[in-house]
Amino acid sequence: MEPEQQCTKCGRKYPWGQAQCPFCSSSEGYLWPQRRDTFLLMIFVLLVLMFVTTGFTVRVYHEVESGLAQDWYTRGEEDLRAGRPQDALTDFRTSLSYSHDNEQHQLRLAQALILTGHREKTGTEARTYLLNLLEHEPGNGTVNLELARLAARDHAVSDALRFYHGAIYGEWADNAIVKRRAARLELVQFLLDFGQNDSARAELIALAADLPPDPVLQTKVGTLLLRVAGYDDASKLFRLALTEDPRMPTALAGAGECYFKNRDYAQAERYLTRALQRDPHLEHAAAMRDTAQAVLNLDPFNRRLGNLERARRAALAFDSALTRLQHCASQKGIDLKAAGSDPLQALYAETTDLQPRAKERYLRSDSALLSQVMDAAFGIELASAHACGEPKGEDLALLLMAQEQGGPRQ
Amino acid sequence: MSLPPVTPPVVPDEHPHPVPGLWAELRRRLGWAVDGTTLKETQLFLLLAVIIGLFSGLSVVLFRIAIDWTKLLAFGSGLTAPWTRVLLVPTIGGLVVAYLVIRFFPRVRGSGVNQTKAAVYIFDGYIPFNTVIGKFITCGLAIGTGQSLGPEDPSLQMGAGIASALGRRLRLSREKVRLIAPVGAAAGLAAAFNAPISAVIFVIEEVIGNWTAGVLGAIVLSAVSSVVVTRWFLGDQALFRIPAYHLVHPAELLAYAALGVMGGVSSLAFVKVVAYARPRLKALPRWTQYLQPALAGLLIGIMGIWFPQVMGAGYGYIDQAMHDQFTWQVLALLAMFKIISTSLSFVSGTPGGMFAPTLFIGAMLGGAVGGIEHHFFPWLTGSVGAYALVGMGTLFAGFLRVPLTSVFMILEVSGNYSIILPVMISNTIAYLISRQYQQAPLFDLLSRQDGMDLPSMEERREVVSVHVEDAMRAYQGVVLNIEGSVSSALVSADASSEGFVFVEDGGGKWYGITKEELHRQSKQWRERASLRSLLSPVPLPHVHPDHDLQEALRRLGDLPFLPVVNRANFRKLEGVVGLADILRAYRAAG
Repeated sequence: MEPEQQCTKCGRKYPWGQAQCPFCSSSEGYLWPQRRDTFLLMIFVLLVLMFVTTGFTVRVYHEVESGLAQDWYTRGEEDLRAGRPQDALTDFRTSLSYSHDNEQHQLRLAQALILTGHREKTGTEARTYLLNLLEHEPGNGTVNLELARLAARDHAVSDALRFYHGAIYGEWADNAIVKRRAARLELVQFLLDFGQNDSARAELIALAADLPPDPVLQTKVGTLLLRVAGYDDASKLFRLALTEDPRMPTALAGAGECYFKNRDYAQAERYLTRALQRDPHLEHAAAMRDTAQAVLNLDPFNRRLGNLERARRAALAFDSALTRLQHCASQKGIDLKAAGSDPLQALYAETTDLQPRAKERYLRSDSALLSQVMDAAFGIELASAHACGEPKGEDLALLLMAQEQGGPRQ
Repeated sequence: MSLPPVTPPVVPDEHPHPVPGLWAELRRRLGWAVDGTTLKETQLFLLLAVIIGLFSGLSVVLFRIAIDWTKLLAFGSGLTAPWTRVLLVPTIGGLVVAYLVIRFFPRVRGSGVNQTKAAVYIFDGYIPFNTVIGKFITCGLAIGTGQSLGPEDPSLQMGAGIASALGRRLRLSREKVRLIAPVGAAAGLAAAFNAPISAVIFVIEEVIGNWTAGVLGAIVLSAVSSVVVTRWFLGDQALFRIPAYHLVHPAELLAYAALGVMGGVSSLAFVKVVAYARPRLKALPRWTQYLQPALAGLLIGIMGIWFPQVMGAGYGYIDQAMHDQFTWQVLALLAMFKIISTSLSFVSGTPGGMFAPTLFIGAMLGGAVGGIEHHFFPWLTGSVGAYALVGMGTLFAGFLRVPLTSVFMILEVSGNYSIILPVMISNTIAYLISRQYQQAPLFDLLSRQDGMDLPSMEERREVVSVHVEDAMRAYQGVVLNIEGSVSSALVSADASSEGFVFVEDGGGKWYGITKEELHRQSKQWRERASLRSLLSPVPLPHVHPDHDLQEALRRLGDLPFLPVVNRANFRKLEGVVGLADILRAYRAAG
């Protein structure tokens, strides 16, 4: 316990080491007035002075901090541009340590965190920053988009949808239309990845309604529409793109594919051929073009054909179908000649009877037989496709024709 | 027998001599209100509380800037500094701090909480003002150069020192000057934590132990005004960004109970290290005290090369721990190294506080426990950040032994009420473990090491008070009606085995008279006179069975006994208690 001494004036005890009694006014100097009210006034004056001093000091320090924050932020931007997200992360962290509330710095840190890619490690921190920013500015498009990306990364579909829509309808500092469109495209891609084709199609239709006359963009959206079976809308976009740039191979290929999917093989063949003339490396277009040509060459129901050609095509189709059936059966290890319950065996039994009559000379004059032969060929192609998967070449053409006809005619 | 009239003692005015002059004339003309005669001391006390809060807030703002600026100058602006600086800065800083402390500010060593308590209980509220200056300079330098200590305890003491100086200069009464230091302490702590509720509760829980409306009002006013000032200058953002938390399943509370156990054990280890090393280092020759902070700084610098997080207060890293920026292995290592570094700083005599390091260790430990639990029980929904948050309160409860403050502090900094269940469970377990295996709380331990026996608030809370019901005995005599005659009273009194009789006035007021007095008075007065005419007009004070014996003693005064009456029915006599009964009860209670 510290020793005490007793004041000779007031008699109170006070600690050693003090020259004056703290309770007694006997030895007060000029600075410490006798009166309580005078001292209170001095306190108020001192308080004002201290407020001013503190305010000045805080201001100077905040200026120093702001300068440092800006320096580190600039370094972070440079590191991000140079593809060094890890360094940028440290820079942005440092900048934020000097400017805690700076929303731009928080956003860039969150973006750097997302870029570093470690989901577990950085996701939570990035999300915290972004949610904090969103709380202050719920309509911020950038923040919504980053949150949507995080949610998409975590497969949180409902959150991703909410934030993507926040980004699409949110506010952007510049290029708002372009950035909203990009956000919607990102949302479409997310929906396609998660198999939500109907939602994706709805978003694409909304996007298509508001596209600028940009053939690249129109083609991009059209291609996405093709993925969700929106052939008519896609076709319109490709045609729009072709009015802007008639030689654009991807637009030509897209338009060709639309016709192909709509079973207009003549138009499909025309557009696809034009596309391949511009860009011979479009493999998918080439395959489609070949199939379209096969359909056009094999179709016996074309009204412009004479009886001879019609019969030739029917006979060819039948032979091709029969060969396909035999290949499929051998692939599956089925003996077609044996009696059994397999649909391929039953089909073979039915067609064996027809085989002797499925010749050009019989078919030339017997349109009923021709229809029967073609029905048999279609039936074989459909059954074989069911058993052995989609065929190629002429068999694929026949299968497409069969699907168009709705199977063997009753 | 009757109570003598009580006249309050005349208290002489301590400053009744105004000096006439120009200023007095100005005051008179302006109708100056703040005058010793127009402003009562209670009102002045409250006004002063606000002023103290403002001064404390301003001081804490400057203190925090001083720390940050020192750190900036010493280590540079990057988050990590070159290793040479990490080694040299705390070492040289330690040397300078030691020199300043030994040569100029010897009182700034040790805990500010204990020094505030000493001011209240020993030094009549006296805290030298140079302690405030000393704390500001030495703690700012120590923390800024990387010593593993926090700014809260110095802020608390600066607030208390400012309050003490103002109270003394305004010549408040001794009672008020004693109480003014805790008012300033609350202001300092509130400003440092940006958490007024926690500061108020801490001061009540750890410094003054109990409170009256006046004291509470002053503490709240000072805490609020200091926080307003701090927020005005430094913004109102919380110390940490708090992660979202929802308790999905009650079974998860078991995971927090495990954190409580870990927190209790870690708290014990921390206290034991401090308790063991501090007196031993203090006992070394005086010249070594110049080197101890430097050596502590060097060792902390060595740790800081690999774990820079252990240097300084570490609030930024607590924030990072709450957002999953460290693996659980790193968090566990940080908790361990912070215990070592803080112990080194504190036991070496470097001035600074233990609050921030306690929060740091708690956050790291909580995060580590959360990480481990997530590893083995991935279905747990509480984030690692939530565990870190709860861990802060856990260490606070276990190490500083302030369970109430620990709960309110976490609630206040998180602003999330749903965290309360985990916090309460974890904190209580840690507190009980710490209490079971470490008898004296940290603050009491430190004060005893410093040669002071300050009242322990924890022991006070645990003291079982002895009540009137433990001391009273059954009254064997008769109860007379005040309107009865003296003759009938004499008959009844003679038949009684007690040496006195109680008289009741029908309205719950009790009087008493001894048999001898009754006989003597009856001879003097006619026997047909009523008892009322014999008795003093002042009734006896009474007590209730649940009254503390101290209160009974106070009311007993010079009286031989007191009636013990029922609280719900003042006319019902439960028993009687006298001085001998009270002493007997105290002896029995040990």
